[in-house]
Amino acid sequence: MTASQALDCATVDELAPAYGLGAVEPGEEQAVSLHLTTCPEPHAEARELIDAATLVSSTLEPVAPSAALRDRLMATIAATPQDRVVAPQRAYVPAPEPRRRWWSMGALPSAVTAVALAAAIGLGAWGVSANAELAERDAVLQTVASADVAYRVSGPAGDGWVLQSGEEAMFMADDLQTLPAGRHYALWLIHADGTTVRTGAVTDTDGVSVAPLEDVLSGAVTFVVTVEEHVVETPSSEPVLTAQLGA
Amino acid sequence: MTDEARAGDARLADRIRSGETQALGELYDRYGGTALATALRVVGSREEAEDVVHDAFVTLWRKIDRFDAQRGSLRAWLMTVVRNRGIDRIRARRSTVDIEAADERSLLRTGPNPTWDAVVTRTSVNELREALATLPEEQRRSVELAYFEGYTYREVATLTGVPPGTANGRMRLALAKLRDALSASSVSPNAAREGAFTEEATS
Repeated sequence: MTASQALDCATVDELAPAYGLGAVEPGEEQAVSLHLTTCPEPHAEARELIDAATLVSSTLEPVAPSAALRDRLMATIAATPQDRVVAPQRAYVPAPEPRRRWWSMGALPSAVTAVALAAAIGLGAWGVSANAELAERDAVLQTVASADVAYRVSGPAGDGWVLQSGEEAMFMADDLQTLPAGRHYALWLIHADGTTVRTGAVTDTDGVSVAPLEDVLSGAVTFVVTVEEHVVETPSSEPVLTAQLGA
Repeated sequence: MTDEARAGDARLADRIRSGETQALGELYDRYGGTALATALRVVGSREEAEDVVHDAFVTLWRKIDRFDAQRGSLRAWLMTVVRNRGIDRIRARRSTVDIEAADERSLLRTGPNPTWDAVVTRTSVNELREALATLPEEQRRSVELAYFEGYTYREVATLTGVPPGTANGRMRLALAKLRDALSASSVSPNAAREGAFTEEATS
């Protein structure tokens, strides 16, 4: 099976013992993990069996490692950098003073790799809560896995990503704040010369929102999202999400 | 592992996350013996087992920023990585499997619920061993083939000449017995033996 195949609750319960023992195929393992992360059902029995499997190693009598192993390990880690996960950036970055139009301001936070994005999702940063959204989340993971680069988007409306694969790009966000009727999220690309281009919109904020960008990222320095009531040529409100591109 | 030890693991994770190499050394001192026993059981060679343990701890060091104590224990994650890396070495067909991806998947695994976690911390290693040792042969063998030898449940089914559902069923019964042993231990007067999970090397 592939990771994109969603599992139903009965199958997950059936696979739980093998999953706990690491005895399922990688695709099954990922699918079970995602199901247990997202399913509203408790799966209590399955979780107990999975937890019990983590204790199998404890049935073995410990074996004393050699002193040389500890020395080798400590020498290795002293020379090994730690991987860092880019944390969500909730803080809103206000326009600098003297005040100028926010959409002409410079770059905002840094880019991350698709690997880091996948990591963040894998750890649950992408909080899909309903089982019905599992397939959607699988699609998200597939998209993330194929992206060449990902840029973190953050602001008071939530968190998201701009994913670029070749010449194409898309905006993705999870659980964006629901807007009043008649309003939508407008997506903008801002170029170094200040040119601002409307590049898409998000109207459905239920679960994971995905919107292809209508323009290439090349030449753009900042991506922003605003809340708009009408389709406008330039932003009419402060940004609710921002990201620096190309950093 | 006592509750105190479990809290100590969380503190160790924080210190490792902050880049404190000594904290990783303390973690190694705490779990190195069981990690090596697991690796040795999987790969069979002492030299290779030590390489597995070395690599597993380095992996934990590198990826500690991704560890979430709310999703599982540091110990369980470490042992999963040890097991995965051991299996990676013994299975030729897994030579094409991305071990880094396997490590990533280990982080996706769900963690113990709080009630279960409390039970686990009160259970002795001896009771676990006894529970595993008293399993019917076909159940114990299914667990060993899967966990220590790296066979999928479908492969276990083939090796043992039963349908996949039966192989999975045997694993279910075996794990249920381990679980029940833990539950029984939790209500036993001797359940809260201090240091039950202390994993100091004994050989």
